[in-house]
Amino acid sequence: MTREDSTSRAELELGDLQRLLLRLIAAPAGVADALAREPALAPHGLDAIIRGDERMTAAERLEIYANAYFYRLLDVLKEDYPLTLAALGDDNFHNLITDYLLEFPPTEPSIHFAGRSLAQFLLVHPLGAARPWLAELATFERATLEALHAADAAALDAAAMRAIPVGAWPSVAMRLAPAARVLEFAWRIDELAGANPQVTLPHPPRRSPLAMLLWRRAGEVLFRPLELLESAALVLAGRPQGARFEEICERIADHWTDPAAAPAAIDRMLARWLNDGLMVRADR
Amino acid sequence: MKRAEFPFLGYGVGLRRPHYDYIVGARPAMDWFEIVSENFMVAGGPALKTLARVRENYPVVMHGVSLSIGSADPLNRAYLRDLGNLARRVNPAWISDHLCWTGVAGRNLHDLIPLPFTAAVAAHVADRIRTVQDVLGRRMAIENVSSYMSYAASSMAEWEFVATVADAADCAILLDINNIFVNAFNHRFDPHVYIDAIPSERIVQFHLAGHSDFGAYLLDSHDHPIRPEVWRLFAYAVGRFGEVSTLIEWDDRIPPFATLAAAADEARSRAHAALAYRARGSAAESPR
Ligand SMILES: [Fe+2]
Repeated sequence: MTREDSTSRAELELGDLQRLLLRLIAAPAGVADALAREPALAPHGLDAIIRGDERMTAAERLEIYANAYFYRLLDVLKEDYPLTLAALGDDNFHNLITDYLLEFPPTEPSIHFAGRSLAQFLLVHPLGAARPWLAELATFERATLEALHAADAAALDAAAMRAIPVGAWPSVAMRLAPAARVLEFAWRIDELAGANPQVTLPHPPRRSPLAMLLWRRAGEVLFRPLELLESAALVLAGRPQGARFEEICERIADHWTDPAAAPAAIDRMLARWLNDGLMVRADR
Repeated sequence: MKRAEFPFLGYGVGLRRPHYDYIVGARPAMDWFEIVSENFMVAGGPALKTLARVRENYPVVMHGVSLSIGSADPLNRAYLRDLGNLARRVNPAWISDHLCWTGVAGRNLHDLIPLPFTAAVAAHVADRIRTVQDVLGRRMAIENVSSYMSYAASSMAEWEFVATVADAADCAILLDINNIFVNAFNHRFDPHVYIDAIPSERIVQFHLAGHSDFGAYLLDSHDHPIRPEVWRLFAYAVGRFGEVSTLIEWDDRIPPFATLAAAADEARSRAHAALAYRARGSAAESPR
């Protein structure tokens, strides 16, 4: 037998073995229950595959892996979603994650991705349906995590802006920094967002539209609610191509009832954006 | 294998989040740090910034958990690309991962699952290690894992499997002393036989960690101090392999940094004592 033959045969057998073990380890109700759903297993079942002894059966040994799988992911998701956890309580959260992992099992090498679809899952899960604001809270928590690990970028600051001749300002294109984003909610998630899950259990927020800015500064993720005007401008700048400064000004002027007051408002907003490091140049 | 690829780094600890600020701010005395590669496979932000600051002052080894070198799935090329990018950023002393599988069918169990110890699986794994080494442009180290089950299909002992894979892949070995101890109990073998069988010239690093005793089995929990029996096995390994870059792993219920640093110091003094003993005594009197 050549080396290639033995390797490809090993892969085939190894693949069957690993797919079986994966099903058993990731099963929601334990190894014994999952084994009952494996009619193709030989008469001696798992004992023909995994060695047991008088201390532990094959199934008990595999159960160690099944428990490790679930609880490792549960721990990571508890850390990623402390407010969602506090809102649901331990038991509900445990049940939610049991169901979630069936629908969205981890596929990425990094465990950071394990929780990326939880908000989406809450939209269709009974625990989320009973608390329609919960998916938005989870969206906020996920966005916080993603902002924390988003790409670094040289922010446009006041000094850089001053260095540009005023005549050229209208054509300066800017874009929201990779670690900044505008989130739109139907509930006042900002009422819960700053809560300490250790101290206060989040109460249901008010139902009222909210645009929220999330951004990273000195390694920390911050947020603030946005007024309609600023949110319109930032959504424009949040597009992949960004926006020219004149487009942003026009958008703001559109919303302003008193056009004479627009320049001061634009000035104030721009100063704040530059100070918070929200913008990067989009035209270079 | 050239020694220069894996220089002796001394006695280090894992770089863990609760200690980031302290290590960056106070720059405590420490020979080297090991990172979990996947924790830094992010686009940007404070984790990478911390790592860059740490790297300015200490040697760093990249230790991965998701290579899944023993999977029947094709190697994850996107993962290898990210790993290579991180290596270019970190310039690590070396890169390691585990002799196990972590997922199949596009799924990831985020756990280190043991492999059947057969010649065919050893050849499969060795081929893949060679590919990874080609992609990374450097030799890597592969670690023996702790396990709670073994396969009826296995036709060789774990130590034979480790040695066979390392020889066929021409890679280095990161020997986890605690994992050998845990497996010796869980699978009933003599851990000294294991250590005696590992090819000395491939050993580039030791891991030391604490485990939990559940009566019927030992769990590699990384949340305890190193047990006296594991320290004894470490001394035995130093007696056989000489002084090797050693790292204290502590991943859960992480204690203050000083506790980790004390464990690294203890490893150093125990290693030196074992070497002194070896220099004095005969092979028949090894501290077994
Ligand atoms: Fe280890």
